[in-house]
Amino acid sequence: MATLYPLASLAQIENTPSKQDGIPDDLEEDLRAYGCKLIHQAGILLKQKQVAVAAAQVLFQRFWFVTSMKQFGVGDIGMGALYLASKLEECPIRMRDLINVYDLLLQRASHALVGKSVDMFQYHPMSYFGNTFYDMKDALVVAEMQILKRLGFNVHVVLPYGTLINYLRVLELTNREDVCTKAWGYLNDAHQTPVYALYQVPTIVCAAILLATRQLQIPLPSEPPACWWELFDADWEDVWSVGGSIMRLYRKRTEEEKNRVVGLVNKKDVRSWLEENAPQAGSDSTSAMSVT
Amino acid sequence: MNYIQLEKLGEGTYATVYKGRSRTTNEIVALKEIHLDAEEGTPSTAIREISLMKELKHVNIVRLHDVIHTETKLVLIFEYCEQDLKKYMDQHGERGALDMNTVRSFMFQLLKGTAFCHENQVLHRDLKPQNLLINRKGELKLGDFGLARAFGVPVNTFSNEVVTLWYRAPDVLLGSRTYSTSIDVWSCGCIFAEMISGSPLFRGRDNQDQLLHIMRIIGTPSDAQFQKLAKEAPEIQIKQFPRYAKMPFQQVLPKASPQALDLLERLLKFDPAERLSAAEALQHPYFTSTGPGPAPSFGMNSMNSMGSINAMNPVGAMPPPPPPSSFPAYGHSSSSAQAQAQAQAQAQYQQQHSQHQQHPQHQSWGHPAANVGVGLGAPPQQAQQPQQGVNRAAYGMPPPGPGMPQGGMGVGQGMRAVPQQGQGMVYGQPVQGQGGQMGYGHPMGGYGHGQ
Ligand SMILES: Nc1ncnc2c1ncn2[C@@H]1O[C@H](COP(=O)(O)OP(=O)(O)OP(=O)(O)O)[C@@H](O)[C@H]1O
Ligand SMILES: [Mg+2]
Repeated sequence: MATLYPLASLAQIENTPSKQDGIPDDLEEDLRAYGCKLIHQAGILLKQKQVAVAAAQVLFQRFWFVTSMKQFGVGDIGMGALYLASKLEECPIRMRDLINVYDLLLQRASHALVGKSVDMFQYHPMSYFGNTFYDMKDALVVAEMQILKRLGFNVHVVLPYGTLINYLRVLELTNREDVCTKAWGYLNDAHQTPVYALYQVPTIVCAAILLATRQLQIPLPSEPPACWWELFDADWEDVWSVGGSIMRLYRKRTEEEKNRVVGLVNKKDVRSWLEENAPQAGSDSTSAMSVT
Repeated sequence: MNYIQLEKLGEGTYATVYKGRSRTTNEIVALKEIHLDAEEGTPSTAIREISLMKELKHVNIVRLHDVIHTETKLVLIFEYCEQDLKKYMDQHGERGALDMNTVRSFMFQLLKGTAFCHENQVLHRDLKPQNLLINRKGELKLGDFGLARAFGVPVNTFSNEVVTLWYRAPDVLLGSRTYSTSIDVWSCGCIFAEMISGSPLFRGRDNQDQLLHIMRIIGTPSDAQFQKLAKEAPEIQIKQFPRYAKMPFQQVLPKASPQALDLLERLLKFDPAERLSAAEALQHPYFTSTGPGPAPSFGMNSMNSMGSINAMNPVGAMPPPPPPSSFPAYGHSSSSAQAQAQAQAQAQYQQQHSQHQQHPQHQSWGHPAANVGVGLGAPPQQAQQPQQGVNRAAYGMPPPGPGMPQGGMGVGQGMRAVPQQGQGMVYGQPVQGQGGQMGYGHPMGGYGHGQ
């Protein structure tokens, strides 16, 4: 129970709820990554513990295997995931602080969107008695509850860092600071991808080590019957595939692609985007579950 | 709701418990109602209780049957038990004291349930007679897994919080945050003594007083012992304590058998490292030797629903090649300051990790402040990698190192075009009765029937 956690099913991966609602794969992928970036940035501004931030990102990624982005926005769910994960990791944050931070991040992002320079940005704090605050607070409570409900309270998250240290020790690489740092960095970056909802930790850690050692051109035994990843019971195809998912984060993106997600943080925006862009792909099969 | 609410059974700090009857099966259950607070959302106690208890299936742990989640409240449906141990002792005991066979039977079951939690990496953290439930068959079950409040939240105000204090381990009272299974073992020891004598063993008024009560009986640790404790848990505050000599337990509990006293002694060690584990305690001669009456044995029926897991491939094909210079849009940098910060965090982490069982709170996994506001911490700089071989580049993977065998690197090799079903756990599938499967979406397989 402590070292294993549930993974998305084949059906959930092949046909995510967002996809069923006509949201293209690459847009879903970008929105997932953007939602994770917001969680990360909010975590930094709140000086929240990294364990809580990472756990929030994992819950966030899991959520999109059971719910469509047409029903909930990545902004609200990210906020709810961070709030929930902070409770789980026993470092709770105040609703008000979290809401303010998200408000700031979103204002800053849309400011940049209209092409104004960053130093021109001036944050306009919201009024505590205004509607924005109450709306966001409402959305936060609903988001937290929906994550719990739709994940069936499967909120157990295992983080990979301890495992990385152990594996590097086994591979006698702990004296290579550059390997440690790079592999560590890949594990962090992987939190922007869904891999933590798709694979168990050993596989992901092996992928991080694979990427790091290849980059640094460090040879490791890789010929059957002596393949290093087998020491950790990882499957080569899975390791390879996780590596690919991580590397995809670094592919070149156009300005347009980067900006697109900023305007789609809310479900409302996603809905209007769908009306304008997508032919009605698939039926609205998840709306029966909708609670909004 | 699918349940008829009957009389109130008890009230805790964050919930009210009612007796209930299922409309469909007539089964009697306990309904634990938790109100959702607009200021706090779902209480963390409830989150923990549900997420942990739905996995813990054991005769000596109260079974969580179902969860009903509405806009304003959460209702947890538990198996019904007649009484909690506190009330049981009041009613059936001789001034609270239970007869020796009952004590042994309950103690055995308490340790069984506790050992099962620990095997599953769950700490109860709030074992006390009010949280142990007894059913008509004389089965004892651990209840109330709303343990989040044991740490992180200041302990005061509520009078029943003081009750909890009486079962709290001395290392925790000293401020240790590196708690582990030994804190539950301490509570088991306190409960053991209480069942024998009829009254709580250590009744302190506050933290400090509680420590004094403990030391008056088990003795004040030596300076060397204190130093050892402080070394293992640096957050511990050691003050000056009066030097009490150890009192023989025989004197404290004259009625108890020598074997019972020996077990008690091994459970109530000041130093957490010296305490028996729950599993070890079950092997103690107090249970295994042929004393008066047979050792109680209750069916184990411990179904740990974890199957093996095979991960599956994620979406589609491998990424296209990253153009050589097109690395992270989000925060990468490898300034030496950052590298240093990470190395430091790393060293710190390693050091901590080599000590046993550190709480995650103490782990720092190296998020250099250099990244503030940029994105997910420090993807390593993708140094100009030599693009050896088209296939490799086509997947954007770094090439193998010099002299590294090249097996499995080509297109299509080692790649599944279609993700394959993993065995084991999935999201969003009913779980009940599918040994080895659990899933997201339905906590108990029958999620939310009652609505
Ligand atoms: N399954 C059950 N069957 C019968 N009675 C129960 C059951 N669960 C709880 N109770 C009764 O209700 C009381 C409170 O329950 P519980 O300890 O779970 O609530 P709580 O709010 O977590 O309490 P606290 O936080 O104050 O310890 C118990 O002491 C017990 O008397
Ligand atoms: Mg209780």
